[in-house]
Amino acid sequence: MAVSKTTLKTLLGVHGVIHRQTLLLPSTLRCSGILSTRSIHERDYRRPGQPPDTRWPWQKIRFDFSKGVEGIKKHIGLLKDEFVQRWTGPEGRPLIEHILEQTRVQWEFRGPESLNQWVVSSDQEIGGRSEAYIQLGKNNTTCLLYGTLCSTPPRDGETRYSGYCTLRSKQPLASFDRKKQYDWSSFNTLHMRIRGDGRPWMVNVSAETFFSHQRDDIYSYFLYTRGGPYWQDVKIPFSKFFLSSRGRIQDDQHVLWLDKVKSIGFTLGDKADGPFQLEIDFIGLCNDLAHTEEFAYELYKRNPEV
Amino acid sequence: MNPYVLMILLSSLGLGTTLTFASSHWLLAWMGLEINTLAITPLMAQHHHPRAVEATTKYFLTQATAAAMILFASTTNAWMTGEWSITDLSDPLANTMFMTALALKIGLAPMHFWMPEVLQGLDLLTGLILSTWQKLAPFALIIQTAQNIDPLLLTLLGVTSTLVGGWGGLNQTQLRKILAYSSIAHMGWMIIVIQYAPQLTLLALGTYIIMTSAAFLTLKMSLTTKVSTLATTWSKSPILTATTALVLLSLGGLPPLTGFMPKWLILQELTKQDLPIIATTMALAALISLYFYLRLCYAMTLTISPNTTNSTTPWRTQTTQASMPLALFTMATLGLLPMTPAILTLTT
Repeated sequence: MAVSKTTLKTLLGVHGVIHRQTLLLPSTLRCSGILSTRSIHERDYRRPGQPPDTRWPWQKIRFDFSKGVEGIKKHIGLLKDEFVQRWTGPEGRPLIEHILEQTRVQWEFRGPESLNQWVVSSDQEIGGRSEAYIQLGKNNTTCLLYGTLCSTPPRDGETRYSGYCTLRSKQPLASFDRKKQYDWSSFNTLHMRIRGDGRPWMVNVSAETFFSHQRDDIYSYFLYTRGGPYWQDVKIPFSKFFLSSRGRIQDDQHVLWLDKVKSIGFTLGDKADGPFQLEIDFIGLCNDLAHTEEFAYELYKRNPEV
Repeated sequence: MNPYVLMILLSSLGLGTTLTFASSHWLLAWMGLEINTLAITPLMAQHHHPRAVEATTKYFLTQATAAAMILFASTTNAWMTGEWSITDLSDPLANTMFMTALALKIGLAPMHFWMPEVLQGLDLLTGLILSTWQKLAPFALIIQTAQNIDPLLLTLLGVTSTLVGGWGGLNQTQLRKILAYSSIAHMGWMIIVIQYAPQLTLLALGTYIIMTSAAFLTLKMSLTTKVSTLATTWSKSPILTATTALVLLSLGGLPPLTGFMPKWLILQELTKQDLPIIATTMALAALISLYFYLRLCYAMTLTISPNTTNSTTPWRTQTTQASMPLALFTMATLGLLPMTPAILTLTT
């Protein structure tokens, strides 16, 4: 009896520890509404200063029947669409459209469900104090990203710098949550209509990679916003995007291939504390025929001939 | 690339294929195949682009798996029958394993999934070497062992490859993927007739190499990799556009071009062997492939954008690329059909 009581107590104690540990995980912080929009692939992040998540896989399951039924309906619908749209042409549109296409609006904000395609995060994941939120702008036609930057680093003994926020689009998914990519090979320029507050942003495009070493490979370029009430049309050719990995610009540069683009993102990290706002009307692509440059930067050549 | 390194790699490619051609022992044949795989790997990865490295990795893994299966099949055969000779492959398990491995090596359906992704990640010249030279050594082995292999397996591989090659290429907008599916379909045609008339397989392989080389070299000359860029080649070089359209129709197997020759002779052989259903299925599957070749011809020759073109029209300056190989292969692709009797006499 005593043995079983102690084992019970130990078990309860263990469960209590585990339960306590779950409270400290980033998913249960006050910004849980934003972070829970992360996909399964993005949840492996360990916040610095926190112990690693040592739960067993079966303890991480969140099971729900009604969600299951909705999920099955949605995925089988998507699968049927995939088969049916092959009759029309590549990506469900006739080939003639693909040949003639010169502009395309990829992201538009015309209703609350358009915000579900985007993930906002800030340095609250690592324990900082910046805040970032998205909402629909006036007349439900634009997306407003707003918040406050605070570059005080969190006191966890590991982090030295802080003060950033990001808006990133989710990777498109086919049926059964298989990853899909955008095919932007007919275009060569990114065209956005934005209204900023004078802060310098970075536009990040990420492409589908094969190896896990390239998981954080991002192609970035600068986006200087003007303050003021007037909208700004920004056209950035894809040849200008440079490669960086986990924030470090790489020496071995190469051009971004546009046939498998995963997502686009905007990052603010200009070390200026205070409020910020960025309003986006649309993000589109266009084909600038006058722009013939293939890549703007020198390709790093190992063993150059001297 | 450093010219000495390039010389070593290209001569290793030649060595590997020649070694497999000249071998009568399984180990030597396997060695030739592995030398080919290892020699083309740096050629594929020379551009240091993540997609090129991805293509190299996928190619290496599939080819190494296939080579390991070949080694296992030959070892099993040697264990069961005591024979290492290529033509004496008699154990049925070894036979089937061997054929599956070679199907993976040349990209026959249902082992074709690596082909479009790998070709898409490569530049056009390396893609050409992969589509043409790398098929020679495995075919040498297939032709030598075809009599011992289960006929049902060969027929299934052939019919599935032509169907998959046709349907897979239908919705593609990238030209290298289209050529990958075209390769899969042509391999199907070669395999279907190997059990009845191996010399027709060799003929089909030869004409396929000529036509694919013409196609790849044309795309390299006009620097196009997408269908939309193909639509503006008429302004770069009108004659090249005309010949490209004909090369694509030759790939599709239309008379009076060379591509008709292997298809006609294969269908004739299948009919002689009393297999009308298979012959009909192959002919109908060829129609599917013909649809996407015709669509490329249409995009290239019969469309002009209503206002501004979709891709930049470059200056028509003198090209610095060597045009002799392109000219040779194009003439061979367009004009060899009248030589059919001579070719038949020489090969049978």
